[in-house]
Amino acid sequence: MAAWVKGGATDADAAVMAAARLLSSAHAPVFAGLNAEVAAIRAAYDLAGRIGASVDTAGGDATYADLGALARVGAMQAPPAEVAGRADAVLVVGEAPLKSPLVERLRGTKPVRGRAAGAERSIHHLRSNQDLAVQIAHLRAHARGHMTSDAGMAETARAMASALYGAVLYDPGELGTLGIEMLQGLAMDLNESTRCFALSVSDGTQDRAALQVAAWTTGQATRVGFGRRVPEQDPWRFDADRQARAGEADAALWLASLPTPRPTWLKTLPTVALVGADAAPDLAEVVIRVGEPGRETGGVLWNEGRAGLSYRAPEQGADLPTAADIIARIAAAVAGRGAVAGRSAVANSEDA
Amino acid sequence: MLIRIQGGRVVDPTAGRDAVGDVWVEDGRIVAPPSDRKPDQTLDAAGCVVMAGGVEVHSHIAGGNVVTSRLLLPELYVSEAAPEGHPFAHAGGAAGWIGATYARMGYTTAVEPAMPPVHALATQLELADIPLLDRGALTVLGNDDHLLQILRDGEGRAAVRDLVALNVATSRGLGVKCINAGGASAFKDGALKLSLDDEIPCYGLSTRKIMGALLDAVEEIGVPHPLHVHCNNLGLPGADDSLVATLDAAEGRRIHFAHAQFYAYGVSDPENPMTGGFRSAARRIVDAMMTNPQASLDIGQVVFGQTVTVSLDILRQFGGRKGAKPKKWVLNAGDAEGGGVVPFLYRPKGPTSSLQWAIGLEIMLLSGDPERTILTTDHPNGGPFTQYPRIIHLLMDKEARDREIATLPGIVKERSEIATIEREYTFSEIAQLTRSGPAKLLGLDDRGHLRAGGRADIAIYRDDPDRTAMFTAAKFVLKDGHVIVEDGQVVDWRAGRSLALTVESDRAMERRTETYLQDRYGQGLDSFAVPEAAFATDKPVFEDVACRT
Repeated sequence: MAAWVKGGATDADAAVMAAARLLSSAHAPVFAGLNAEVAAIRAAYDLAGRIGASVDTAGGDATYADLGALARVGAMQAPPAEVAGRADAVLVVGEAPLKSPLVERLRGTKPVRGRAAGAERSIHHLRSNQDLAVQIAHLRAHARGHMTSDAGMAETARAMASALYGAVLYDPGELGTLGIEMLQGLAMDLNESTRCFALSVSDGTQDRAALQVAAWTTGQATRVGFGRRVPEQDPWRFDADRQARAGEADAALWLASLPTPRPTWLKTLPTVALVGADAAPDLAEVVIRVGEPGRETGGVLWNEGRAGLSYRAPEQGADLPTAADIIARIAAAVAGRGAVAGRSAVANSEDA
Repeated sequence: MLIRIQGGRVVDPTAGRDAVGDVWVEDGRIVAPPSDRKPDQTLDAAGCVVMAGGVEVHSHIAGGNVVTSRLLLPELYVSEAAPEGHPFAHAGGAAGWIGATYARMGYTTAVEPAMPPVHALATQLELADIPLLDRGALTVLGNDDHLLQILRDGEGRAAVRDLVALNVATSRGLGVKCINAGGASAFKDGALKLSLDDEIPCYGLSTRKIMGALLDAVEEIGVPHPLHVHCNNLGLPGADDSLVATLDAAEGRRIHFAHAQFYAYGVSDPENPMTGGFRSAARRIVDAMMTNPQASLDIGQVVFGQTVTVSLDILRQFGGRKGAKPKKWVLNAGDAEGGGVVPFLYRPKGPTSSLQWAIGLEIMLLSGDPERTILTTDHPNGGPFTQYPRIIHLLMDKEARDREIATLPGIVKERSEIATIEREYTFSEIAQLTRSGPAKLLGLDDRGHLRAGGRADIAIYRDDPDRTAMFTAAKFVLKDGHVIVEDGQVVDWRAGRSLALTVESDRAMERRTETYLQDRYGQGLDSFAVPEAAFATDKPVFEDVACRT
């Protein structure tokens, strides 16, 4: 196992002990990234709960753009395979979704299920040359007949209203909460007379896996803090980037067993980095190389094509620990330093 | 280790037992009283009632809708107390909280009734994180294009059986459920209402045909739990017709009706059936059940207060969206079933909510067979499962019921029989309603009773006239022979097992399904699988449950 402490190569035990020391002596540690397999995400929440850390994800801003709208107005949505199988009209909002392979697939196929099966699929595009949220508001007003001034908007509104099954693709990071709220309102309006669903295009991180784990583990979404021992969700307060810039955090755990852009603040804090193939000695104070899930080790990952979780077996044998294993070892070392007992007691008690 | 539970009032209706005595436990099982051995541990049950651990058949405790409900209503699931041996024991609505709260109430098994095969892994991972309980999930079928294609093309019973078996095996389900069969598909094609014989667009099928095929498949596979059916037209005036028609359509085959309270709504004004409100049809539903011994139901009891409704019946959830309180809702038109999440307030003292509350109790109080009348709130749809102790209290105490009824609007007495029913449930009947009945229904012969050989899942309650207090916090709860709760507090955070049927799937159907899935998703069966390797533990997660032979 490759591991480094303060740039010097070391063995696994020494790296784990150094990580435990670093994290358990911090007053306000943050766990960030979480671009990893479900087992590692789960282990990270468990450890955060024990030591009073806060948690954020690599795609936190985009995730909370969606969640903000969801908690205000709800959503009317469909997964990619349903949109590809059923939609006879698709509206792509902004530029970011154009990078999604789904758009190419939609362009090259026709609906095959439901009442639109066999129909030609029309694809419309709302460009981001103006404020997207305002444009969606205008489109919604045209769809409701409150505005008629923009012929292009009116045509798009007519196309979506006359579709048998419409879909609206957007990128939450690009569109923002207010835009998503308006977009969901548009989809809800259209469902008064036909079927239309929103589809949030994933940013490629494991945020959607983390969201599920966070929800069933803490009852809340991803950005939670355990400083008062109970999970408290606060999208602003537990934004890891903000915490680091504001000087609130005094240590970090960076969890990225999958390739992940690193935040600029990473080297400004004493950090434990659990990373995959891009591990390097100078990445953080403590660096531990872990297996990349789905390639070097097995793991449960978000499956974009299915909009769900799937287990991915390793493609190749690799003598690398999983991130979950390392976090469990750190947790055991932290417990040995006198921290509270946690969920591992559940498994261990069976041995009693 | 030999344990003696000494001097409690032992209530086991399956053995005709209701008397003060002992229960002996060894190696996780209930054993006959040994003639010549002393116990290693004695639990004093004097002044207590000893029952088998509670068994939950229908509570939405995991899965996509449950996750969405937490995200839609973050205010509903706040954490209120510090952990006690488990970091998330008080994380409201989370897996740790669910396990701990059920266990404190004396429940040791719980089943999530709605697991779409496409999301089986996520559901099973979430279930596995619920501590203290054995858990399981019902595989939902009835709206999937692959199944509907097979039925449309008239391929016959064997093909349906093989596809159902494959789905159960792949998702590691404990049973099979259908939810408004065909309704989600119809909704996506523009329908707003569906009854038993309405045509499902694009397939030329009906709920009757789909459900009938699933009833046959469940029997041919030998699934111990009968097909778990969520009928058409939930919650609408006249829904009693839907339930009775569905029962008739079963044509004598075993069938379980989910949350029957929501169907016990007779039309109040025949001249204006959809606008004239409803009246209790509890007696009609109970009479139908009594003449069909192959049928069973769970209640879906309503309790007052804020909740959130979660259902894969997207047709119904879309219809209910305008009653959302607070005014926000999620409808996910997912692969096959999808899901709808609509917050709802059962208004305390509101006429509709009050009548719903009365109807649920009425079904239980009129029932001639509590073992086929299972207590549920359809958590969280009728309200949280945490209200079971209060519901039990009302069933056991006519005076308490009368006091509650006296505070409710007159419509309760006008449109239901609740005020005239004198019956008070006995402990044995409560045990049938919450232990032996649900265990038998799920085909779990090793639990729900206190006979020798049974699993040592046992609840010991102080015999308190305040039944709410009594059933909220057990004095002791044993899981597999280990004391997990003492004086209402969790003392041993053990992990239970996920119960899954052992079902052989047909190789030809596997190949055929692989082709279908590759065409639809660009991925095959592997991406839907629930392998042990997906669970971050070196201990077994699943426990096999055999099919009927």
